[in-house]
Amino acid sequence: MNTKTKAFFLAGAMSLATLASAQTGVTQPTPPQVKLAPTVGADLKSGDTGKIRQALDEIRLAGKAGGGAFVAPIVELLQRGVTNQLAEAALDTLGDLEAEPASAMIAQYTIHRNLRVRQAATKALVKAKGAAATKALVRALSDQDGMVRGVAANGLGQIKAKSAVPDLFLALDHRVNEASGSIGMLCAAADCEQLSTRIGKIPFDVVAAGIEQAMFRPDVGDDTKIKLLGRIRELGTQEANKFLRETNKKWPKTASARVKQALDQAVQATGGGS
Amino acid sequence: MNRLLTLGLVVAACGGGQTHPNLFATDWEDDNGASITGVQQKIGGAKAPTGADVAVGVAGNSDKVVGIPLAGGTAWSFAHAVDVRPTIAGSVVVGEGGGELFALDAASGKKLWTRQVGAQAMRGAGDDGKVTVVSLQSSQGSLLIAIDREGSVVRQIETKQQLGVPAVLGGYAFVPWSNQYVSVLDLSSGDEAARILVRGKVSRALAVGGGIFFGEQELFRFDDKIKGASKSQATHIALPQRELPGTPSLMAPGEEKLGPVAGALDKTRMYARPTTTDPIAFDSQRFYGTYFRLAMAFDTSTTKLAWVYSNKVDLVGGAAGPATFVLCDEEGKVVVLDAATGGVERELSLGGPIKSCTAQADGLAASTPQPPPPLSQQISAALTNRDSEMVSGQRLLLRELATLEDESVTKTLVDLASNPLTAPLLIADSRTALAARRNGAKAMLEALAKHYDFLHDVLLSPPVGPIAQALAAMKEKSAAPLLAAHLLDPADTDDDCKQAAAALVDIGDATAIPTLKQFMTLYHASADSEATAAAVVSSGQALLNYGGPDGRKLVDATIADPSTIDAVKSRLSAVEQQLDAQKSQAKPPPSKK
Repeated sequence: MNTKTKAFFLAGAMSLATLASAQTGVTQPTPPQVKLAPTVGADLKSGDTGKIRQALDEIRLAGKAGGGAFVAPIVELLQRGVTNQLAEAALDTLGDLEAEPASAMIAQYTIHRNLRVRQAATKALVKAKGAAATKALVRALSDQDGMVRGVAANGLGQIKAKSAVPDLFLALDHRVNEASGSIGMLCAAADCEQLSTRIGKIPFDVVAAGIEQAMFRPDVGDDTKIKLLGRIRELGTQEANKFLRETNKKWPKTASARVKQALDQAVQATGGGS
Repeated sequence: MNRLLTLGLVVAACGGGQTHPNLFATDWEDDNGASITGVQQKIGGAKAPTGADVAVGVAGNSDKVVGIPLAGGTAWSFAHAVDVRPTIAGSVVVGEGGGELFALDAASGKKLWTRQVGAQAMRGAGDDGKVTVVSLQSSQGSLLIAIDREGSVVRQIETKQQLGVPAVLGGYAFVPWSNQYVSVLDLSSGDEAARILVRGKVSRALAVGGGIFFGEQELFRFDDKIKGASKSQATHIALPQRELPGTPSLMAPGEEKLGPVAGALDKTRMYARPTTTDPIAFDSQRFYGTYFRLAMAFDTSTTKLAWVYSNKVDLVGGAAGPATFVLCDEEGKVVVLDAATGGVERELSLGGPIKSCTAQADGLAASTPQPPPPLSQQISAALTNRDSEMVSGQRLLLRELATLEDESVTKTLVDLASNPLTAPLLIADSRTALAARRNGAKAMLEALAKHYDFLHDVLLSPPVGPIAQALAAMKEKSAAPLLAAHLLDPADTDDDCKQAAAALVDIGDATAIPTLKQFMTLYHASADSEATAAAVVSSGQALLNYGGPDGRKLVDATIADPSTIDAVKSRLSAVEQQLDAQKSQAKPPPSKK
């Protein structure tokens, strides 16, 4: 398979995976393992841009199971310094390999002067997680670039960085809308209620994304959920009613009956008789 | 007095004087000052009476004239249509609107007389305490009317020439015309008693401090040297050449009528008060310029900025007085400033917003002003105005600010260059000025400690490049860690990054080594710009200077790395070779045994 074909396949495979993941919300099964060429390791160290690029593509295709062994040489590559294109490819690969040991090196690239490299590093860090991720992603919330800020805000929720909640609130108040969902994923009771105070101050759909996350978390208490519903019920708008109806529809049968009752009442109260 | 009154009655009875055929003739031959010398002899030592100290505004819907005596007193108001900006002539305010001329007592606003003039527009007026001479634009050319305090027309002259603004002294009207002549009219006979050929543009005659002056952008004094005017021997004075925003002028052409509403030209004006003493000079050695909300005073001998006054709203008019400068703004505030310091002597009010303003301060006694802040602070205050209209004036002030040695100036420049609300042109100027500073390191170090931070509303990086240049020139080694931190800040511009790295070559130390290494590693193969490549080379040079064997090792590895950008590689090699050559030259020659 030549480089172009691999890149096409890679892109297609990733798009489908992303689409499927988005539709089902379920992590996709590990793709079939691609057998790596025996020269991959040597190619990474060759200093030849073409060979390095090809090796990175192959490793990426092989996924975590097949390419995991190459995390260290890719980190070495980044440590030595490479062109922007190779840096992007290396970071994408480390992300796909969910290479936690690489997080410190990836974090260094989240402050790169090249925007595309910085974006790639931030995305990779969310996937790699690791000790350096929280600090670097919190710093990325203050980046000049909106996409970097958005990825960082979203990523902090994904990596369950509870310590970042105050920074996420700051980001939300600075119109980094992605912070809302992450706050919903991470908030303690008081934080969740604090999120609901943003209703009326920032667009409803932005706050709702966070509240929805909190509503379906088993570790968030019924009292908190009922308070959140109360705030939305107070709003009384059509979009509030729509949110409540959809939440009610998705509410698991085995979940709290108290919350279900509050949901029913809220839907009725905001329904306007229709 | 009697003679004038008698003449007035006679003339009024005849329907208001007549136009003499030789008046304003263009076939006039220079008499080498003979006729004007004759007039001077007749006038003797007469001086123009001291004019009223007053500010007059057009208010309402241009249907009201308001005034306030500058020495304090009751503001007055006179309801009348206003089509032309009122003018202050001696102790009289003359206005025109609805086809009617009107004269008011300047101190009280009391109506003195009115006169129907139809569609003719007033250009200006002069007054000697007895007779007011008004120049009007007519369909045929010009109309000159002399009216006494009772409202009687003592002389009326029509001409095809475009007459400027007249002055009156001792029964003679001094009437500029054709931008070069001043015809001296005997108001009793209507004859042209003398003519002055002025070697300079002249469209206005004005009474100042008891003297009479002619001119527009430069001023010619009516004194014993006026007879030599045609040979450029008249006493005259011009404003010093000085760069000013909006290229303001001292006076508008006298042949033009000024509308009741102030425009941009009224807000960007120059002011100066000529002296009647020898040698001729400008009062208090000051000339002034306004630029919308700013008023600036300059020293006449050095043209240096003496002070700046910042106002909240646009300044629409003013006057240079004896040791004072008077300004009025569009909200009707009138402020009297000390000519020397710019300190506020007093603030008055015309009672509300005004459309335009005319002021006269001829005998106003200076009082003790409030002490103004230092010039650097005055300029700083003027620079904080975010109105984009102000930028040209602010750029000038910024250049003035940069010439001051005060350390606080550095902080002001840092603040301006770091504020995203500052106009881009001012940011660029501030950065240029900052790079040349050689004091104020504290403010620079404080600025370097800041970085772009979206969440904490630091939306513009500090001016790292200029600060790096200044601190390097000042050998400020404590800046090293702060400068190094900026190498890794992607929000800094490439050029700022380049300057930070260049400064670290000279003032860097061991604290910067880890960052320099990281920077080289990150960018030796990926520098996107010439500036970033230069920063990589400087980082290498810094490592060679004080990075020890490890630093040298990294530089050698970078040169050997095939992915290193060619320009970086060759320049790093050159730097290394040069350094080695210097070191070998510095070694003492081996001793001969």
